[in-house]
Amino acid sequence: MTHPLLYPGKNKLYALEINKVSKIYKNKFQALHEVDFQVKQGDFIGLLGVNGAGKTTLISSIAGINRFDGEIKVMGHDVLSDVVAAKSKLGVVPQEIAFDPFLTVYQTLQFQSGLYGVKNNKRWLDEILAGMHLDDKAHANTRSLSGGMKRRLMVAQALVHKPPVIILDEPTAGVDVEIRKNLWEFISKLHHEGHTILLTTHYLEEVEKLCNQIVMIDKGRIIAKSSKKDLIAQSSDLPVTFEIETNEGQIAESLAQLVIGKEANKSILSVRNNDDILMILTELNKAGIKVENMNINKPKLEDIFLKYLGR
Amino acid sequence: MPFFALIKKEVYRFSSIWVQTILGPLSTALLYQLIFGSQFAVINTGLEHVTYSMFLIPGLVMMQVLLNAFGNSSSSLIQSKYTGNIIFVLMAPVTALNMYAAYLVASVIRGLMVGAAVLLGIVWFGSFHFEHVWAILYFAIFGSLITGGLGMIIGIWSEKFDQLAGFQSFIMVPLIYLSGIFYNIQNLGPFWRSLAMLDPFLYIVDGFRFGFIGHASFSILNGAIFVFVFALIINLIGVQMLKRGINIKH
Repeated sequence: MTHPLLYPGKNKLYALEINKVSKIYKNKFQALHEVDFQVKQGDFIGLLGVNGAGKTTLISSIAGINRFDGEIKVMGHDVLSDVVAAKSKLGVVPQEIAFDPFLTVYQTLQFQSGLYGVKNNKRWLDEILAGMHLDDKAHANTRSLSGGMKRRLMVAQALVHKPPVIILDEPTAGVDVEIRKNLWEFISKLHHEGHTILLTTHYLEEVEKLCNQIVMIDKGRIIAKSSKKDLIAQSSDLPVTFEIETNEGQIAESLAQLVIGKEANKSILSVRNNDDILMILTELNKAGIKVENMNINKPKLEDIFLKYLGR
Repeated sequence: MPFFALIKKEVYRFSSIWVQTILGPLSTALLYQLIFGSQFAVINTGLEHVTYSMFLIPGLVMMQVLLNAFGNSSSSLIQSKYTGNIIFVLMAPVTALNMYAAYLVASVIRGLMVGAAVLLGIVWFGSFHFEHVWAILYFAIFGSLITGGLGMIIGIWSEKFDQLAGFQSFIMVPLIYLSGIFYNIQNLGPFWRSLAMLDPFLYIVDGFRFGFIGHASFSILNGAIFVFVFALIINLIGVQMLKRGINIKH
């Protein structure tokens, strides 16, 4: 039997291929402008953008529920010409909460399994329910679930067929901290097993912790795409601050321009690139000024994101 | 298989609200039978050995078959669109044809189940017998395919519940009520008869009634061909609409 995560296409590198995808809605609003990026198999990619940036439009296009121009492939299968194969490789958690009010939690998962042609998967369904902390609600009607529970049920629905590519569109909105942690543990486990994951969320610390690749989108255009490591490394203009002891607030003229704060016999200096660090240390050493504290502010994804947005 | 999973879910959906979907139509049909079948029993049907009650019962059964097959596909689709859960079917590896066929088959199943329930309930209040079982089954199945298909078209096209309600109130119900359920079309004057003959449901009701009383107002063969072609056209339009994702895909 072929392993479900093995790649059937010619190009074995990519789980998702988004090639020059554009989308214009009926009202002439262009939500996507030739969006182009690829996701390697096994990547955990964060798709970042503010509300209305085009993330959900892109996800809907990948899921085959939006018309678009361009080409999208899931595990080598074109979502327009090879629909059934492409969809069977994909599990999507939509952003809007949706549920079937006629079914219980377990029936929902059984029905969803049926839609993907999966039978006799009770053990896996039980595992997903436990992973989503819904096992005690298995026989409850979906109407009785809280918002967070409904969202977790949607995550469970996306996983019934163990798809090699999982897309999560804001899966933790309205989910409490503890359950969110458990949910990410479960998703991380799937990632370690080889599933490719694309995540959009407004909790950037989640992206920072989980993802190895980042794509930023704004007004329907890609504004950054890189590995998280490179993206952070490129952001070298983020401040390193020095707290120094000064004699009645007097410091060398060359350093004065770097001062961002003063209190009694202390000055706080900030440098924004690596060359300045060497210069400041040399100057301080020359002047015999004692450094009380030095803070290297590790760039946060949030800062980098805002920088790319230019806001 | 996704096709059967979807049928199973649809049948479960309408069965789980059986008071509304099965008992309700039965109650309506019984009321019609009590009011018309009993109170107007003396009405001359114009057919030898056929009492008004014998004439009315097949019409009442078919009326519920047609209305319920329409109601199933149309309401299920629009509810799914309204609550958003249609997304789970749209994202699944189900072709538009499979999805359409599953909803349609479920509508036929509901139409036939309601028809059988009405027949079983009404038997206590009137008499009927089977003359041509094939005609009963043929016209019941194709009648359901036609209104189930119309329900699909309206369900796909409608974006609001009132669009569906408008079609049902101003097109479906008048056409069904004027299709000779309550009266023999041959008793109408020439003008009204010619007008009534434009009603496609007339041939479904006539063929279905032929299965019970052995009399038909029109050629059964022509009626059978007409409903077959009509069902085919309606459903080809419906499948195309779903394939194109009209008012479903953006």
